[in-house]
Order: sequence, then C-alpha cells, then structure tokens
Amino acid sequence: MGVHGVLLCVTSPLCCHTTLHQWFPPHKNRTSTLQSLFTVDRIVIIVLDALRIDFVAPSTFFEEKKPWMDKLQVLHKLASDPESAARIFKAIADPPTTSLQRLKGLTTGGLPTFIDIGNSFGAPAIVEDNLIHQLVANGKRIVMMGDDTWTQLFPNHFNKSYPYPSFNVKDLDTVDNGCISHLVPTLYDDDWDVVIAHFLGVDHAGHIFGVDSAQMIEKLEQYNEQLEKVVEVLQSQSAKGGLHENTLLLVMGDHGQTINGDHGGGTPEEVETSIFAMSLKKPPLPIPSEFDASSCKLDLLGRKVCVSSIQQLDFAATVSALLGIPFPYGSIGGVNPMLYGLVAGTWKNLEEGLSQQKVKEWMQNYAKVLCVNSWQVKRYIDVYTASSVIGFSIDDLKHVEEMYAKAVNTCFLSSVAELARTKFTEFNLRTMGIGFGILFMSIFVHLLFIVKVDRVHKDVFAPNETSPVSFALIVSCVLVAARACSFLSNSYILEEGKMTSFLLGSLGVLSLRHSIMRKKMILEATTFILIISILRFTIELNLSKQGSNEVLDSKMYVADVAPLLPLIILAYMLYKSIASCKWVLKLVITGSIFSYILVALHWILESNLSNMTHPIFDVIKGNVIPRVIYIMGIAQLLSLVVFRFFEEVERAKWGETTMMKGVAMLSSWSSTLMILSGRQGPWIALALVVGGWMISRLKGLEEDQKNAKIGVLACYSSSVTQWSLFGSCLFFCTGHWCAFDGLRYAAAFVGFDEFTIIPQAILLTIETYGFSHILPTLGLPFLVAYNYNSSIKPKQTPHSLIQLFQVYLIYGLIMAITTTFTVLCVIIQRRHLMVWGLFAPKFVFDVVGLILTDVLICLSSLFYFVQT
Amino acid sequence: MKDKKKGHNTKVSTTGGVLSPSKLLLSHLICGIGLASSFWLAINVYSINLIDSPTETLRLVWLIEVPVVILIYSLFRKDKNQSSYLKAVARGLLGLPIGAIINALGAIALGAPIGTQYFQRTLSWSLLMSAFTFVPAACVYGSSWIDWQQTFVHTKLIGIIDYMICLPAHGAVIGAWFGAWPMPLDWERTWQEWPICVTYGAIFGEIKLKGKKRSQKSE
Repeated sequence: MGVHGVLLCVTSPLCCHTTLHQWFPPHKNRTSTLQSLFTVDRIVIIVLDALRIDFVAPSTFFEEKKPWMDKLQVLHKLASDPESAARIFKAIADPPTTSLQRLKGLTTGGLPTFIDIGNSFGAPAIVEDNLIHQLVANGKRIVMMGDDTWTQLFPNHFNKSYPYPSFNVKDLDTVDNGCISHLVPTLYDDDWDVVIAHFLGVDHAGHIFGVDSAQMIEKLEQYNEQLEKVVEVLQSQSAKGGLHENTLLLVMGDHGQTINGDHGGGTPEEVETSIFAMSLKKPPLPIPSEFDASSCKLDLLGRKVCVSSIQQLDFAATVSALLGIPFPYGSIGGVNPMLYGLVAGTWKNLEEGLSQQKVKEWMQNYAKVLCVNSWQVKRYIDVYTASSVIGFSIDDLKHVEEMYAKAVNTCFLSSVAELARTKFTEFNLRTMGIGFGILFMSIFVHLLFIVKVDRVHKDVFAPNETSPVSFALIVSCVLVAARACSFLSNSYILEEGKMTSFLLGSLGVLSLRHSIMRKKMILEATTFILIISILRFTIELNLSKQGSNEVLDSKMYVADVAPLLPLIILAYMLYKSIASCKWVLKLVITGSIFSYILVALHWILESNLSNMTHPIFDVIKGNVIPRVIYIMGIAQLLSLVVFRFFEEVERAKWGETTMMKGVAMLSSWSSTLMILSGRQGPWIALALVVGGWMISRLKGLEEDQKNAKIGVLACYSSSVTQWSLFGSCLFFCTGHWCAFDGLRYAAAFVGFDEFTIIPQAILLTIETYGFSHILPTLGLPFLVAYNYNSSIKPKQTPHSLIQLFQVYLIYGLIMAITTTFTVLCVIIQRRHLMVWGLFAPKFVFDVVGLILTDVLICLSSLFYFVQT
Repeated sequence: MKDKKKGHNTKVSTTGGVLSPSKLLLSHLICGIGLASSFWLAINVYSINLIDSPTETLRLVWLIEVPVVILIYSLFRKDKNQSSYLKAVARGLLGLPIGAIINALGAIALGAPIGTQYFQRTLSWSLLMSAFTFVPAACVYGSSWIDWQQTFVHTKLIGIIDYMICLPAHGAVIGAWFGAWPMPLDWERTWQEWPICVTYGAIFGEIKLKGKKRSQKSE
C-alpha cells in the first residue's frame, strides 16, 4: 500500500500558479506639481458593498422597472439638481469581483492577480503601494468604519477605526448599524481628512435573499435615509469657513451582483457598479464638452439625471489627484476628467472671472495632472518590463512609447490600461510547467501501475484470461479522453453539467444494449438511464436558476414534507442492512438512523408547518440539532477508525464485511451532508444510492461474461468511469457550478452563527464536495465487494483486494486526467478574456477536488484494505 | 443519441430472400433520391430550409422519406411465405411511432431540450430517425425478436439485408451522437440549435455507412 500512498502524494502538490512578485522601490514623485493642484480638502467615502448600477441610476435607464430600482431617491435628487455638483457614474470593475480584490484594486489602482481569490477569506495586508498608504504618508488622517476587511488590509493606517466582522452573511445589520452609529457624529469632528464607511447589508441581503426581496428593498430604503442625513449634515456645514466647505462625498459600490446575489465573476451584472460623487463647493463649473461623455435621461419624476462612465481602475489616480497626493506606484489608471471636473469649482487658485477663462484654466490644470499621471504610469511600465521576463511584448511597448512621446495623454493612459488588462498578470511559466509536469508524470505512474496490477492479477488469479482489451474499455477511454479534451474550450466548461450527463447517458445506453445482449438486468439498466435522465433535468433546473432568482416557495406544504420521504426510505434501507453485522457497525448505523430523525426534526421545526411553541422546542431549535449531528458524525467516524484497528480479519467473508464497513462509513457522512445541503439533500442521497447500486449490479454483467476470462482492467473500466461521471453529475445536480458564486456560503452557517475560519471552511468543503467527491470515493469498494449473484462462490480475499486496488487506481487516473487537462487549459488560455471568470475558478475547483480525492483514496485504502 | 432497438416475442425465421447487388444498389439509390428530393422540394418549392425552419423541413423530409423506406424495405421482408407485402407495409407503419418514441426517449435521456417550443422539433426529428433506424427493421424482420437481436445487439450479420439494415441504422445513431457535440459551443449560430446539427450528423452517418456497405458488396 505504500506505493499507493507515494503515488498519490506525487499527484497532490500542484502547480502553485501565479505568484506575481512585484517589488516596489521607494519613489520620489513629482509631488510638488500635484500638491499645488489639489482640489478638495476632505473626502467622505461611503462604500455600499455589492451596489448594482440599477440601485443607483434611475429606472428609466433600464429596459424594465424592477422593484429594487429607484430606492436611493436622495441620489437622484442631488444628481438632477443643477445647483449641486453631483453626478452618478457607472463604474466598471475588473473581475474577480470579490470584495477583497476590489478593495485592493480600488486602493492600488492596479489589476488583481489570480491567486488572490483564494486568499479572499483570510485577507493579508496589502504590501504594494496604495492610496491609503499615500494618504498616511502625506499626513492625511483617516477614519474607517464598517467592514473589517479594511483593517486586515491596512492594519496600521487608520487614525480611528470601528471594524465589524464581515463574514457572517446571515447577519444583515451589525456592520451597518455600527457604521450608522459612528458616521454622523464623525462628520461633526474636524480631526480627519478622509472618512471611509463600508456598509455590507446589501451584499449580505443579496447572498441570503437575492436582489428581488423585501429585505433588499428594506436595506436600500434604510441607506436612502442614512444618505439623506449625511448630505444634510454636510450641506449644513458647507458654508464658507465651515467644516465641509471643500468636501467631496463619494457613495460607491465595490462590485455589482447578480439577481441571485452572487458575485465573483466577470458578467456585466457583477462588474457594473456605481459611484456617486458630490462636491459641496458651489457653484459647479461646466465641464468642457469634449470630456463630457454622459447620457442623460429623465427619471420617473421628470428630473434630468445624467450618468457617466468610469473605470474603477481610475479611482485611485483620480482621488490622489483630487487630494493632491502622489499617485500610488503601481496604479495604471488615469485621472478621470468627469470626476475630476466635478470639483473644478473648488480650485483654490481660481479667482472670479469669466467662465470661459475658468474652463481654460481648468483645462490647463487637468493637462498638468494628466502629464504627471502619464509620467507615473510610464515609469511603472518601464520598471515592470525591466523586472519581469515575460510581460509586455516589444510591439506593444513600442506603441505605448510612441504614444507617450506624442504626449497624447488621455489616449496613452487608456491604451496602457487596455494593454495591461490583457497582459498584466504575469504567469510564472516555470512553476506552471513544473506543476503540469508533475501531473503528467502522475498520470504515467498511474497508467504504469494499472498495467502492472493487471498483469499481476492475470498471472496469479486468472492464467487463462483471454483478452486484456474489451469494447467497454475502449469506450471508457474514448469518453474520458473526450471529456478531458472538452475542458480546453470555454463553452464546454460552461456547459459541463450537461456534457457530463450526456456522456454518462451514452454509457448508460451502452450498458442497456449490453444487458439486452446478455438477456438480463434490463430493468437495472433502464433504471440507471432513468436516474440519469432525472439528474439531467435537475442540472438544467439548476442552470436556469443560475440566471434568474427563483426562490422556491417554501410556504408550500409539499416542499416541507417531500424531503422526509426519501429520508424515511434511506433510514429504512439502513435499518434493513444492520441485520447481519458486528455490533460496532450496528451501533454506527443505528447512530445514523438517529441522526436522520434529528435532521427531519430540524426541518420540521424550521418550516412554518409546525406551530409547536412548547419551550422545549425553542431550546433545540436553531443550532443545537446541527451541532449534535456533527458531533455524532465525528463520533461515528472515530468509532469506525477504532473498529478498523481492532477488527478480526475473516478471510472468507471479506466482501460482506467490506460492504458493511462501506455502509457504515457512508451513513456516518450522510447525515451531516444532508443537513448541510438542505432539503434537496435526501433526494440526492437517494439518487446516489440507487445510481451506485445500479452501477454495481451492472458491473456483474461484465464479470459474469465467459467465466471471468477478461482482465480486471477491462472488467472494471466501464463501471469506474460511470462511477466518476456519476459523481460529477451529482456535483452539478446539487446546484453547484465551478465558480466562486456557486459556493453556498449559507451552508457554512448551519449550526453556527459566528464566523471562524476553520469550522466554516470545513463545512463549506463538505457541502461543496460531499456528494460529488467524498461519498463516491468512499463508496468505491462497493463495486468490488458487491456480489450480485450469491450462487457464484465468493472471491478470495487477495483476489478482491487486488481488484479494489485496481479500481482505486483507475478512479484516481480518471480524476487526474480531467484535472491535468484543466490545468493545461488554464496554461494555454492564460491570456483569454474569460480567464478570471471561468478558467481560474474551474482550475481551483478541480485542483481542490483532485487533492481531496487523493487524500480520501489514501484514507479509504487504509480503511478497507486488510492484512492478508 | 445512442439508442438501440427492442422488439417483441420470438419467432424463428429462416434465411431471407436472395438479393442481388444491383437490386440493393437500386433500393439505396431510391432512398437517397427520396431524401435528396425532399430537401430539394423544401428549398425550391416551399422555400424553407433546415436551419431557418427546422420543424417544417423535418416534417417534409420524413413525410417523403418514410413512404419510400417502407415501400422499398417491405419488398425485402424476411418471412415472405407467411406475410404479404401489405402486411410488411403495415408493420413498417406501426414501427414508425414506436421507433420515434424510443429515439425521442433516448435523445431526452442524453439531454435534448424539452418544453413546448421544442416539442414539434423533437417529434419530427424522432420520426425521421425512426425512418432511418427502426422502420426498415420493422418492415423486414417484423416481430422476429431473434433477428432484431442478431442485427442490433450482437451485430452478427448474415445476409446482405442484415447489412442493409444494421449499418445505416448504426450510422445514423452514431452520426447523431457526434452531431450533438457542436451544440454547446458559443458560436451563436442558428444551426447549433436542437435538432439541426444532430439531424445533419444522422443523415451524414447514415449515408456514409450505406456507402461503405455498398463498396464492401461490390468487392
């Protein structure tokens, strides 16, 4: 077994992909120019997490008025008021659209690197030069309140901070209430230059309830009220000599969200967010028309509201320019003329005069700022090129150089941003190559072992075996290869669920044909195809949910009662199975049945169905039951481990014992899994059991053929392929898809209210991979141990063990092949437009899945293999 | 869209009628002409094509192809002694809906879209597939389960007529299976919709294997 372990250890260490190492020498900037051009004294930044553009812009800008639109009326009023210098911007973020990434992007003005997404949960401090750092370095005092991600990113930068924990998505109010209680009082103070208030309610409401929900509208109305208060305070102090004489208010989102409330990818819904800017200084200056790229429409009340567009990348540079501090070193954004021009009326050195003259002067100032801006970006690009081996191509650089020489500043900046967007992320090709090489090697090692084991098996147990290759083997190879190759195309990755069920269905039809040929088990094959069809419809249902917000109406009786039915069936199956096994296993399985009852109780209590108001139910309602189930699960696993070490080996009854061990193992995982995956859990579990059983039975077809004259490889290849495809189908069936917004964060809080990284990460992993990786891997021995026909004499233990070994090898090989192709795909497509949106998440999901599978294969080998 | 056929009952049948290669060639030619003429009709007379109006075109194609297939294959019925030509035709007509149902079920199991807007398309497509796969066998073998099994499951082909049924049917199914592959691609072409490219695949596969058999026979 040692070989096995080593082999799998080789598979696991994967390519640590892109560790873009950027170094930032201390720099001297042309600060003097900037300082003389600064335009505002103080900035109030209110970040509303996951602010969709249609929350802010009037509904007339969109095709259809939806209930969540037009809620932030105060912004419409200000933006339409010709007296006030306020404007709504559509801000376009760069994916990945997770909060941490966006905060980094906003403050550094650079583009995110790939590996960062994984760090989204435990945010490390930013090491690069950034806006906040520059603010502090230039003596600005910052007050922060709200989302504690800021304090993690900038541990020592704030004069005052009021952080609140951000990770519990169920909690809509703590962070917001914290912000609200500190924001208005702070506005009366004069001991700060920049205030950052980060509200999380909209993001959390989206995650839990979706955009089209009463909670979301409530949140937006609350924000409207708060913003009104803030504006009132600011305006009351904005007279000459007042506290806020020269203050800029920014209300902005860090990213958008889909109707489902998810974000992370690169769809328009997710990247389009908003910035509302208002300068308190009056009167506003007309912006030269060549910079005015806004579209104006009347809102529902007939007011004219204009919406301009800005790249989020430009935010850092623009704010730096407004405050007169140096641009962050790695910023590649340009100063946005619209946002910059908004506060043009507040020029310190602008005296009374004709507006024409003002405009001219403003133009000159803007040109100066842009000049410094271009110089800074140019220098960064130069340093970057010099320090990295593969960055920008020479042609691109030449183009940029020419532009800079011609001093077409705006053109230069936008083209640099454009270039950087495609080429910026540096991939360490060598690490990638090594990682890919290791994976490729592991495939070869797998293959080598499979062939070797096959030969050993032939020599020892079946000397008269005839054909090492069968039709089923060829078909399995072709299908696995086809599936792997399909990952090279983004379309197939997008449709992976359907693809997998298509391939599985093809295999199912083939086995139906086979069973007709053998004239038996036609019923099993038909059931298998039926199960596949059901899975297929479930996958499509989930896909359609991905686009729209289709919250199941849980008020229905059926929705509450339905999951209990499969639960009872499963419990009954377990009850039937405990008749003939040792007392430890009996105990474990009885524990599972008890857990099922608890699960059912939990759901009944959670539903509106029950009106049980007895105090005893109040006590156990909520977190108690899930925790009891987790503890039971752990206890069951521990007792199984203990059982493993003290069991007496009965050579003759290996198959039977292994079956029972498998049942006990799966049942101890299942209750936890079900409570995590919610009401669909029992159905999926039932489908898994039935599907697995059918595959095991259909395998008998191959085995029986010609008195086991075919090799072990040929015999099991088809079943194992079916098994692994079935597992992948279940992944999509449970409503997951390979994207970070496909993670069901709510599952991490079943039984917990607080966020602590380790238990929540474990729960999330179990929920995500449970039905697709954990259970199928642990259940694989059924294929070998299941003896469909009792009349055939049971196999000897060594014979079964070598088959089990082979089965695990094949399973590992299939997983390794698909992952290798995903990795290959990411390497090839690393400059692809959709790399952040599609390939990168797929890569992370597959790699985590592979590592998990390998670890589980090792563990289950320890569990199932016995000394002979 | 791989689906294999089933039949009913068992009935021992002896060898079929003797078939000359020229007759075979002729029958295939007529089937091919039927297919081609239906497309010609669709494009030139009704000015519809498979891509823009798949339902109508498919309906036209199967309406023309089915009678041609039934009439020709009934000539080659295996149990010439027991059943008349008309009986074989009736079997073919009966086989058409059964085959269509099996094809449609297979397609749905493998991911064909369902819903009211696709119902007509799926119906027309499965009737055409039935004409390629099920109807010829129904005409020739009737209810002889052994013959069905021999041809479709064991692929032990004895007479020329077995080749004539087995190969095009497999060709159509395998072609349709491969035809489904371009469907998920994001090229945004109309022909990627169900069941256009699948139909193309099926027709291509059918003709391809027919040609292969013909060349085998001519050797």
